[in-house]
Amino acid sequence: MTTNKVSGVTRRELLKLSGAAATAYAAGPLLSACGGAAAGPVKAGVLLPYSGIYAVLGESITEAMKMYLDEIGNEAGGRKIELITEDTEMTPDVAQQKARKLIEQDEVDLVAGIVSTGVLYGTRDYFDASKKLLICANAGGNKISRDMKTPYIWRASFTNWQPNWPLGSWAYENVAQKVFMSAPDYGAGHNMVDAFANSFQAAGGEILGTQFTPFPAMGDPAPFITEIQGADPPMVFCFYSGGAAVTFVKAYGEFGLSGNIPLVCAGFTVEEDVLPAQGEAALGAQSGLHWALLLDNAVNKKFTAGYKERAGKDANVFAVQGYDTGRVVAELLNAVQGDTSDVNKMIDVMPGISFDSPRGPFQLDAKSQNPTQHIYVRRVEDVGGALHNVVIEDLGAFTDPGDDSLG
Amino acid sequence: MDTLIIQFLNGLVFSMLLFVMAAGLSLIFGQMNVINLAHGSFYMLGGYVGLSTVRLLDSFWLALMIAPLAVGALGVAIEYLLLRRLYGTHRHLDQVLFTFGLALIAADLIRWNWGAYVVSVPAPPLLQGQVPFFGIQFPLYRLSLIGFGLIIAMLLWIFIERTRIGAIVRAGVSDARMVSGLGINIQLVFAGVFALGTALAALAGVIGAPVHSLYPGLDFEILILTLVVVVVGGLGTLKGAFFGSLVIGMADTFGKAFLPEFALFIIFAVMAMVLLLRPSGLFGLKAS
Repeated sequence: MTTNKVSGVTRRELLKLSGAAATAYAAGPLLSACGGAAAGPVKAGVLLPYSGIYAVLGESITEAMKMYLDEIGNEAGGRKIELITEDTEMTPDVAQQKARKLIEQDEVDLVAGIVSTGVLYGTRDYFDASKKLLICANAGGNKISRDMKTPYIWRASFTNWQPNWPLGSWAYENVAQKVFMSAPDYGAGHNMVDAFANSFQAAGGEILGTQFTPFPAMGDPAPFITEIQGADPPMVFCFYSGGAAVTFVKAYGEFGLSGNIPLVCAGFTVEEDVLPAQGEAALGAQSGLHWALLLDNAVNKKFTAGYKERAGKDANVFAVQGYDTGRVVAELLNAVQGDTSDVNKMIDVMPGISFDSPRGPFQLDAKSQNPTQHIYVRRVEDVGGALHNVVIEDLGAFTDPGDDSLG
Repeated sequence: MDTLIIQFLNGLVFSMLLFVMAAGLSLIFGQMNVINLAHGSFYMLGGYVGLSTVRLLDSFWLALMIAPLAVGALGVAIEYLLLRRLYGTHRHLDQVLFTFGLALIAADLIRWNWGAYVVSVPAPPLLQGQVPFFGIQFPLYRLSLIGFGLIIAMLLWIFIERTRIGAIVRAGVSDARMVSGLGINIQLVFAGVFALGTALAALAGVIGAPVHSLYPGLDFEILILTLVVVVVGGLGTLKGAFFGSLVIGMADTFGKAFLPEFALFIIFAVMAMVLLLRPSGLFGLKAS
């Protein structure tokens, strides 16, 4: 009998070798899927903007998330946690590519992040189809808690409705009965304006006019400020974030409106990340948000001190959300005891997640898949030589209605 | 009615800012036939260098001098070491790729050095405050921008139209080979124009910073605006940059006043219309 050798190995030997290799290759994932004690680390994809105008938000969220994970030794549910970060560049197409890379190539167990509402709306279908859990660390687009809801997207942040609806009636009672509104022309801008208008009008208020400005690049704000002056309102409501917030509020000051026409805004407009650049123009501005730097509770004091030491800057609301996202991931892993193999098991434990956050009591709501949390009214004041947001009233806990009934 | 007058003033202010931004790009494109997509980056770098100068030396006026010099020097280095290899109309794509890559690198380096937070640059104390104007308080610094723009326009005009070097530059815009044939070192002229162009961009960056602040992403916002101005006004001429700025500045301002949601489209609509009627821009020399 002749032996058929293929480069020094008989065909029989080759078959045996291939069979063994195939078994070993198949056995590996099979073993780790059983969630055995030797299951590797939990891989969490982190999808945030690290370039462009929202780079600061991406950085703040990441830094605080890592801070929380360091506090718990980077371990929860009996497994180590490993972060894989990717830059969304604030563009839905790019974000989807990166999400695909994280989920299909890196095979992450879950994804955390997303700053921009546009990116969230743009990637929503992908997360829904790939049945991968996304814990949103910022983007507040209302639709994700309403008509575009999917079981796979939960938020550790807010809905755009949340900080503005309680502010509307408060502003009617405490500031003025007529308002002129200004916001950027995209999902978040419209959400914020609609929420404020809903409760403001329900209280009896009158809207003198609304102005939607180009997004993301507002360009020169002077024409918008001039239009506001022309309308001569007793109060202005606005929402801006990042660079646009600085540009708008600075122009508000340069044209002499600060101190003359009270500015009531969504908290992001005068948050800690933009206050230093806004300077005096922001003094006296009142805003509504689910957190404030000087919020007086033990968890917040510890958090702000720790963040300041770690990042060298004051914390901001995005950092708080990053911190809480880290906590939600940890609580989730603890609740499922490290078993990330079944996304439905993970989804089932989400409504049960509640804890004391730097923002106060934090409880995930089953219907809106968003936290139930307190909303605070803050005012920008000079605190020991620097401008910060001081809490002037706690409006109580609010839950997103989960539908469009209240704006 | 008062609001309209104020908006007109706003338009004038914005136009002058655009002019200072666009003059440099128009010169470079017109003279060297080079597409410089890193123009916005030079603008932003100028702003940030100005910021550091103000922080260190506490003088806005010094920043106005130091930033253009520093960035102009960088421009010379880039031209001599890298850009020089990519001249020629058949190499437009290479120029686009190169300068765009440069812009991306610059953006990251700038963010690495100065951080991603929005930073504001204070206007010089002399120009802070407001001036009463038709019932409102108009910021003094913005008014002074009109003065800045006009002074720079005048200085550039004198340089281009009334000096020998300016004549050489103008000749180079028309026919670079002929100029070279006359024994003039055209390479030196190119380097000089590039340096001037980038220095102008940096100067605009310092002047503009107190108005819009500095943040990542500013470079591309500025680049798009400047490209539109230069395309509308026509490439290569100062007159083109000046009137292009006026047209776009006014269109943008009044667009925002009356149709805020379409404001972004309006300047592009204007650009499209101008290109349909006059493909080389309002005062353009080249049909490139």
